[in-house]
Amino acid sequence: MEREEVKKRIAGKFGGKVEIADRSKDRIYIYAENEVWVELASFLFNDLDARFDTGVGVDDRDGVEVMFFFPFDKEHYYVTIKTFAKKPNPELDSISPVIPGAKWIEREIFEMFEVNFRHHPDLRPVLRSDTRPVDFYPHKRENKTKLEMSRNKNDGQERADEVAGRPLKGRNP
Amino acid sequence: MVKKIPIGPFHPILEEPEFFELHVDGENVVDIDMTIGWSHRGIEILSESKTWDQVPFLVERVCGICSCSHPFAYVKAVEDLLQIEVPKRAQYLRVITAELERLHSHLLWTGLAGHFIGYNTVFMWTWKYREPLLDVLEAVTGNRNHYAMMRIGGVRRDIPETQFGLVRGMLDELWKKNDLLTKAIIDDPVIHARTKGVGIFNRDQCRLYGALGPTARAGGYDIDARRDHPIDAYGELDFDVIVCENGDVFDKAVVRQLENFEAIKIIRQCLDKLEELGPIKDDSELCMEIGEVPPGEGIGVYEAPRGEVLHYIRSNGGNMPMRHKIRAPSFNNILTNEASVPGNTVADAGLITAAVDPCYSCTERVGRLDVNSGEKYVLSEGDLIKLSVEKTEEIRRQLEM
Repeated sequence: MEREEVKKRIAGKFGGKVEIADRSKDRIYIYAENEVWVELASFLFNDLDARFDTGVGVDDRDGVEVMFFFPFDKEHYYVTIKTFAKKPNPELDSISPVIPGAKWIEREIFEMFEVNFRHHPDLRPVLRSDTRPVDFYPHKRENKTKLEMSRNKNDGQERADEVAGRPLKGRNP
Repeated sequence: MVKKIPIGPFHPILEEPEFFELHVDGENVVDIDMTIGWSHRGIEILSESKTWDQVPFLVERVCGICSCSHPFAYVKAVEDLLQIEVPKRAQYLRVITAELERLHSHLLWTGLAGHFIGYNTVFMWTWKYREPLLDVLEAVTGNRNHYAMMRIGGVRRDIPETQFGLVRGMLDELWKKNDLLTKAIIDDPVIHARTKGVGIFNRDQCRLYGALGPTARAGGYDIDARRDHPIDAYGELDFDVIVCENGDVFDKAVVRQLENFEAIKIIRQCLDKLEELGPIKDDSELCMEIGEVPPGEGIGVYEAPRGEVLHYIRSNGGNMPMRHKIRAPSFNNILTNEASVPGNTVADAGLITAAVDPCYSCTERVGRLDVNSGEKYVLSEGDLIKLSVEKTEEIRRQLEM
């Protein structure tokens, strides 16, 4: 479907709840409110016949920006939909019940940024090793700062323990 | 009653970490649970502490086989942010390296698939044919893998005309060998019996699960980032996108074999174009001058041998990416096992999970749980290959070969 038609239909259906920005000839960005997030993804995938590609989380000071990519292959452009899950408890409705291919990427965003995807069929960490602490989310801004501050230290194990909040070996708690 | 069979955490064929738990009823798989992430190295976070120009060296190491595809997608993401088009010569050099990589990756998979179904001759010959290709990559880039060709704004080095003969000679030979291999695969009744109708994943499933690359095209889902989102010289090159319709293991093999011919055609066209451009005059033909990277975001996609690889970068105007997301095609393709493995036998499960050509670094043991008795035991690499080879032998006997 041609990009002008896509923009028109999305604007017509979602009105003021979305903001459409043309970035370049092959990129469109759509900023959506939380409440229409799943409906917008479903509309792109089922009604406008876009392909689902993947998602990205970006941690910001006040919340986590979550975005998903929907390419229109025949017309050679990408539509990126974005929304913002506010801290301290970032939450969003899951699009996995509509698009099963989103299951793992939502699990990854949950694992890395602590975004709780409501109604996800199986919201477990997807990449985490057994030894990583349950409440440690590596891409969260707070944890990244801790990682950077501990980078100067030489002892890798000590650094890992400190970042994870575990008591340091050989030291009094 | 259903039993559970654990497979992993190393893939039974590919010597890479992955854990499958097969839920079986007798010999039939009724469900599968997969665990990846055993070799998670935190490359995205590492990348966010490297300068823009250092990142290509890092992302080359996401995967040894796709060591051109990842930096290609990364530099395209930065160039998307900068809204620049790189010099023509650099575009052709990028495509040549990337397509040489596709050839060696597909040949590698064909060899492994042959080994797994008990055709070790295919394994030996395919890897023998692949060697001259790796020699050419070493000659033109300096390395068999990790080519270090990509750079924001262009490439790091030229391929001089004196080496074109070497590349063309290898391609001519490889065309013949690939033809031989393709005919052998397409005509072999045992391979037909062993792989046709196994692990079917159709077009609608491909779309729902976001399948990519040969996995999607084998099922009739006609997508290829080289044609659909052409980057650099791909828009002006003539090549076909190979699409089958059944989505079984046989079609996945056929798609890869036929794509080798297309890759050879693409490289020959690029060499012709480079000859038209003539000898290099100065370094500006290889790489353009890049200043500061302004705040913004960019998406880079490239059709790697296993499917579309996507890199997303965000800049805050500093000298490092503020966020760098890497999505390797195997991340989407491994998930397709959830729908393609159930309904098949344990002997076929290893073959199906390998047919997506998974790359675990970008992700071997099999757990087996009997759903009737609750009994749980682990199948090793040897057990799985033995099961698979026994099935092939049985088919051979039935066909009296």
